[in-house]
Amino acid sequence: MPFDPIFRPLTFPSGLTVKNRVFRSNISGRFDNYDGSGNQARINWETKFARGGVGAIISSFAPVSIRGRIIPGYATIDGDDKIPFWRAVGESVHRYDCRFILQLSHGGRQQDVAGVENQMRGALSSTGEIETFHGLVAKAMTAAEIRQTVEDFAQGARRAREAGLDGVELHGANGYLITQFLSSAINDRTDEYGGSLENRARFVMEIVRAIRREVGPDFHLQMKISAVDDDNAIFPWQKRGNRLEDSIQVCRWLVQEGVHALHVSTGSMFPHPRNPMGGFPIDEAVRWYDLMLSSGVHTHRNYFIFRSKLLRPVFKYLWHRTQEPPEKIEGANLAHARAIRDAVHATNPEIPVLCTGGFQTGSVISEAIERGDCDAVSIARPLLANNDLVNGFFAQGREVPQEKRCTYCNRCLMNVLENPMGCYELSRFGGDYDAMIREVMTVFEPKPFPPAEVIPLTDLPPQAAPVEVRP
Amino acid sequence: MRPGDDRPLLTAVEEARRRVRRRRWMIVLAVLAGASIAGYLWFRRNVDRPVDYADIGMHFKYGSIGSDNPVRGIPIAIFKILPKAFPQHLPPGAPRDYTAFGFVQEPGQELPIGFSRRRFVIELAGLNCASCHTSTVRERPDADPVVYLGMPSHTVNLQALFKFFFDCAADQRFTPQDLMLIIEAETRLNPVERYLMRTQAIPQMRTVLLAQRDRLAYMFEPGRAPAGPGRVDTFGPYKAIQYRFPMTHLPARELAGTSDFPSIWNQAPREGLQLHWDGNNTSVRERNFSAAFGAGATPATVDIPRMNRIADWLRDFPAPRYPFPVDAALAAQGEGVYRRECYQCHGANDFGANGRDRRETQVGRVTKLAEIGTDPHRLWSFTPEVSVHQATLMAGTVERLRHFRVTDGYANLPLDGVWLRAPYLHNGSVPTLYDLLKPADQRPRAFYRGNDVYDQRDAGFVHTVAEQGGRRFFLHRTHDDGGRPLPANSNQGHEYGTALSEAEKRQLVEYLKTL
Repeated sequence: MPFDPIFRPLTFPSGLTVKNRVFRSNISGRFDNYDGSGNQARINWETKFARGGVGAIISSFAPVSIRGRIIPGYATIDGDDKIPFWRAVGESVHRYDCRFILQLSHGGRQQDVAGVENQMRGALSSTGEIETFHGLVAKAMTAAEIRQTVEDFAQGARRAREAGLDGVELHGANGYLITQFLSSAINDRTDEYGGSLENRARFVMEIVRAIRREVGPDFHLQMKISAVDDDNAIFPWQKRGNRLEDSIQVCRWLVQEGVHALHVSTGSMFPHPRNPMGGFPIDEAVRWYDLMLSSGVHTHRNYFIFRSKLLRPVFKYLWHRTQEPPEKIEGANLAHARAIRDAVHATNPEIPVLCTGGFQTGSVISEAIERGDCDAVSIARPLLANNDLVNGFFAQGREVPQEKRCTYCNRCLMNVLENPMGCYELSRFGGDYDAMIREVMTVFEPKPFPPAEVIPLTDLPPQAAPVEVRP
Repeated sequence: MRPGDDRPLLTAVEEARRRVRRRRWMIVLAVLAGASIAGYLWFRRNVDRPVDYADIGMHFKYGSIGSDNPVRGIPIAIFKILPKAFPQHLPPGAPRDYTAFGFVQEPGQELPIGFSRRRFVIELAGLNCASCHTSTVRERPDADPVVYLGMPSHTVNLQALFKFFFDCAADQRFTPQDLMLIIEAETRLNPVERYLMRTQAIPQMRTVLLAQRDRLAYMFEPGRAPAGPGRVDTFGPYKAIQYRFPMTHLPARELAGTSDFPSIWNQAPREGLQLHWDGNNTSVRERNFSAAFGAGATPATVDIPRMNRIADWLRDFPAPRYPFPVDAALAAQGEGVYRRECYQCHGANDFGANGRDRRETQVGRVTKLAEIGTDPHRLWSFTPEVSVHQATLMAGTVERLRHFRVTDGYANLPLDGVWLRAPYLHNGSVPTLYDLLKPADQRPRAFYRGNDVYDQRDAGFVHTVAEQGGRRFFLHRTHDDGGRPLPANSNQGHEYGTALSEAEKRQLVEYLKTL
């Protein structure tokens, strides 16, 4: 088999074994109920990827508290009443010999839509400063709020274990709450949670310890981390934030505290010019960013810029100025993953390192694993484009044909605000808009209350042309 | 957030946005305020700024006292061309410039003495102290004129100047179209100046002049004796323009306040004396402000620092010495006559000892009209109503005028530099000192004013020549054809020393030249 390394099982120190080296990276979609209770569509969604052959799925962004949500419509893990739902997800995924790792998350100030439960309270963060892109507002967490949030993470881990899931991942990357503490560009605290790297890492270390206390040393726990912040990627006058050496040090500490694996991403916010790297579809932003207009103090500015033909080039320059050319997007984080892996393996060679960022070419993945850049890859957008990337292509020893590859257009990212998550790259559907939407809508099959005879939408023939009736 | 709290419930973002908006407005306001202040300062420093002179004499002649303001100031580009554009409104036979009105034109100067200039986008001119208080003296008709600062501008005919301006403004050719042709031949204008000149300066000047002409129409009614050079109706224009008195309803006796320009040297010793011809104010400072307002400054525009520069200088500015030969022996005899006949009212003219003068003599005090007997119209023109209105000038500031009082006669003035103060009496109705020593009915009833050739024998200006070097002089008449004294022009009164012998009179005149 040409992509042999991909299909080498991966065993974590926790004992968790994954059948291959392709993980579905965390990607959400607003499929669930407003209050965070799960829905059939979420089960459908995750099952698609399990069916497609990935070895493990890292769940959608699962807030450990309602206040930690990014946007309503994502299933949460904020209470024991959510356990049955996540158990159902896990069971559905397990049927395809796919592992399911719940991503324990807290958005902090990165709250795209606060929701009615949160809007009067303000988001929690390490800082009270306004976020610079959308102008999202926050209050600096008190010691009591920090204690409560640490406990929320621990309880989330416990619920994941009780739901029969295979492990948990701390979302410590991409500008969410843990990043907000870790990042020297964001964290402006003067107490024991701010200042030195050790202080900034205190929050996540406390979370790790609390989880360990709650679920014991063997339950699989991994951490997703941004190798670098690049907080000045858009606005060059901002601070850079954490460098690679800072993140390496944090990873060492995490492993010492019993973290079983590291998942390497990048960027101090989400979205970030370098994550997910690729296009910024302004036409889609004009359609869907309106949802966020009431969310931040800079959103009207941004929306005005998106709509202004004169200012768009300025924004495009700022957004794209630090990006790699399109052909280098795939595996753009490998160098960081390699550095972290080398540093961690110096003392703990059994700790696998996952790398995310544009992977969709079997040979690229195989070579990265062979080289030792990482132990496995996690994929989101290319799997949205081709749910069966593993079974349909890699397992058959072939690559995805050019016209079906993910173009990194990021239309999925922009559509998620108001529409079902899916691939919205029209060119991948030969320009057939209806075909594209039909594909997106497959996430709603099967329905929660199925009719007597279920015919999956995907099995329906293309819509027939209307017959003209003449008298 | 709490029940019963009636503040509108706002989301965290709305609260933040409100703070941001408030801060943004504060920044905008601060920037606007800063820009306004900077702009204002820049404007005052670079655009709205009078031309200054380091030399105090130049400042006195050409510096600003605030009358060159945008309301009353005259655009210099227009000022310069008016005599050429409207020669038909000049006095007959007069040169086509402002010397036609007796102003002194120094070589190398664009404006005559007595006019200041201010840059206010376009350049504006205004009258200053020297307009009425600087003139020339010549030894002989063919001699060069010598400029004396602070002396009465005995050649300057302000009334004729204003008449000329009014006639120009009323002329149908006073239009932007007509004037711009002449202006642009003389003065290079940039497009902004050209635009302002066309759309603002010329129409506004015409409007203002015509309005002033209407207010001052009473002056030019037939039968009213013109003021002539060296004289002005001090409070008439005040009433008409500043206070908007209904001039046509005022009693006739109030309307003829024409009097001579005074000299303005040696101001420090004058502090506390009854100043102005009728002694209606004892404050040099208030008298200065009052004069500046008469020259076109307003309480809002009067340039106090620049005025004070002149006022400070004038405090010790001495009266010019008599430049011609004096018979010292004769003068010494004349001093005795002076002691006897004049000292009691006019003092010793020794300002170093004026404390004694003030105690021992009546200098600087008012002699009742019934006793002095001179023309009463100047006294009558300053009415209680005017006095009350004077007290509103600079109201609300520490500079408010508070000392104006109506009196019952004319003040006994110190006689420093009296040789330059001809013609004599408050209304300039007696041409020479010698003539003043004649009984009133023997004084000249008609004489020419405006000639700067000095009459060394009688001490005064030559007044018997009607025309000289193409210049026609103004015939001052003290009585009408029927022998009745003309209001403001009468040479009656002050019949002191009239009984002296011819020899004593000559001795006294010789002594007076030395003061």
